[in-house]
Amino acid sequence: MRPRTKALVAAGSGIAVGLGGLALTALPAGADDDPVLPAIDAEQLVTSALEATPPAFDGVAEVSNELGLPAVPGADALDFESVRVFHDGAESARVQVERPTSELTFVKNTDEAWAYDSQENSARQLTWDDADLAAARERAGQHAAKQGHAEARMADPAQAATEIIEQLRPTSDIVVDGTARVADRAAYELVLTPKPTEKTLLREITVAIDEQTRVPLRFDVYANGRSEPVLSLGFVEFEVGAQDAGLFEFTPPAGADVKTTDAGDVAQARGEHAGEAGEPGGPGESLTTVGDGWDAVLVGTVPAEALGQDVAGAGPAGSEGFLGGAGSAGGGSAGGEQDLAGLLAQIGQPVSGEFGSGSYVRIAVGGAIVTDDGRVAAGAVPQQVLVDALDQQ
Amino acid sequence: MTAQATVATQEPAPDRLRAPVGRLLRAELRWIFRRPRTLVVLGLLTVLPVITGVAVDLTANGGAAPATGGPGPDGPGGEPPIFVTMATSAFVLPLGSLMTLLMLLLPLTVAMAAGDALAGEQSHGALRGWLLAPVARGRLLVVKAVGVLVVALVAATLVVASGFVTGLVLAGADNLASMSGTELSLGEVLGRLVVAIAWATLYLMAVGAVALAISASTEHPMLVVVSVLGGLIVSGVLLQISALDWLHPYLLPQSLGSLVDLIRDPVATGGLGEGAFRALCYLVIGMSLAYARLTTRDG
Repeated sequence: MRPRTKALVAAGSGIAVGLGGLALTALPAGADDDPVLPAIDAEQLVTSALEATPPAFDGVAEVSNELGLPAVPGADALDFESVRVFHDGAESARVQVERPTSELTFVKNTDEAWAYDSQENSARQLTWDDADLAAARERAGQHAAKQGHAEARMADPAQAATEIIEQLRPTSDIVVDGTARVADRAAYELVLTPKPTEKTLLREITVAIDEQTRVPLRFDVYANGRSEPVLSLGFVEFEVGAQDAGLFEFTPPAGADVKTTDAGDVAQARGEHAGEAGEPGGPGESLTTVGDGWDAVLVGTVPAEALGQDVAGAGPAGSEGFLGGAGSAGGGSAGGEQDLAGLLAQIGQPVSGEFGSGSYVRIAVGGAIVTDDGRVAAGAVPQQVLVDALDQQ
Repeated sequence: MTAQATVATQEPAPDRLRAPVGRLLRAELRWIFRRPRTLVVLGLLTVLPVITGVAVDLTANGGAAPATGGPGPDGPGGEPPIFVTMATSAFVLPLGSLMTLLMLLLPLTVAMAAGDALAGEQSHGALRGWLLAPVARGRLLVVKAVGVLVVALVAATLVVASGFVTGLVLAGADNLASMSGTELSLGEVLGRLVVAIAWATLYLMAVGAVALAISASTEHPMLVVVSVLGGLIVSGVLLQISALDWLHPYLLPQSLGSLVDLIRDPVATGGLGEGAFRALCYLVIGMSLAYARLTTRDG
């Protein structure tokens, strides 16, 4: 009987230990209770979050996206699993957007920014000098000028959320709604609801702000009539600590296709086109914003040859209307050669108005109209607001 | 014919009750690597990365390749698209091959070895000798498990080494870019490949432990291979069903994708660590079951 007992004990304990271990990996992170934090005034929290300089940190963020983006080229920009963010506490940052078999890498330091796409083996370099920086600062007001590629900022929860707060602050009712634990850190939950006058399809946006560093750790976008967030981007790991300086240097690999742009040139080009455009982003887009806050509509033109890249081209508009980034973030990478007109005919519905005619594409949080003559209007707003925006042009 | 017969007779009288593990191991390994099927499958594992590399290289450089614009520094007929350039590099090719083969062929190799280790010997009647020999059941299991471990290690190493050499021949030593766009030195690449081999071996050993548990309970080696492959395929199907995502952390192949993280720079260790831990859990379960079954087994 003894070997039998021994066997039973061995089998039983082995299975228990093994299953216990597996269950450990299955535990959802941050299932703890909400932390107890000193009460804080919403206005105070917003101000401190906007003024805070992020410390040196590294983090891993994950996205959950229920936007229902149609399969247009560029929509795959939000099709990633996780983002790794490194920040040196000053100017430099590195954002790596990880896809199952490829990666987008954004590196920004004091005088240049790189965007590298491993699938295309292409790198985009953006350079600027002090004069450009000063000019950008002047345009952007007292907030530090943000250089670098806009997609990188959209993928980094901290920067994206900061921009959302900044953009929507004047047109929102802001309250602090309890606390949360994000990436194992104590955070305040800030809730932004559109003022009644705003014509938007969004219900609210919640931003979790780290208690210690005041870095936004996560944001969730809720649309009308849905209980689950349509877009959620937040850190699952966040660690404050000095980062290796080598992370913020980038040399494109041999054989990569490199394009270099100078911020000064871009700003100049923009000045000729649209005037008040925000900052150096990608080359060549001219975008204007109609309205502000929640019902801001981005209006731009699609160059005929870039039709394939269409809405994605609006990516650098991240600072102008947050949906400009959220709805259309990205760098129009794969599938850029597809026939946009054909696609629109399939997924869109025809609209017409004073502006002419075009196709309307609706997603969970808003929509876009692409007119037959190549103009685009997009925003988190009902269709009529888009039409009005186009009519005003 | 059996290894232990010689062991038992060579044993000097005072030490009769303890056969040296070292000698048992050597005998076991000699036994494994003399089996033609082991050699055939190992040979296949070595050839596959070469075939992959050459095939991708041919499609890239052949006339059928879509010509991209810029005149490349290498390749007179226009640059191959990156995906392809990367796939033949001495860094990506071994890791890519390892990942592909880890899905079925490598686990099959290990399951085969584990099936032969206990069930196979049982069906030949050879295990009976082992069970009667002066070798404790626990040590018998250790010997068998180490045999499977060596097979896993050799198989993983062969795949990576063959991919690495193929990559060196096809793309040279100066095309070692990570997915994040950074160039890696040859030393760094080798370091990561060693990590990949170690990780893959642990993963395969987890498969092997489960296979040994099955192997200890049956006398049909075929059953071992079939159950392991069946289990992997079922896991794969379950992993595709997103409604079952609460179940996914319990499934071994869930961690396979994290091998891609080794191509990123800096390496994200989270997924690999979790995968290693998951493999360890399976290892504990498998080995304890195998031990339980083996100790209660009659000669």
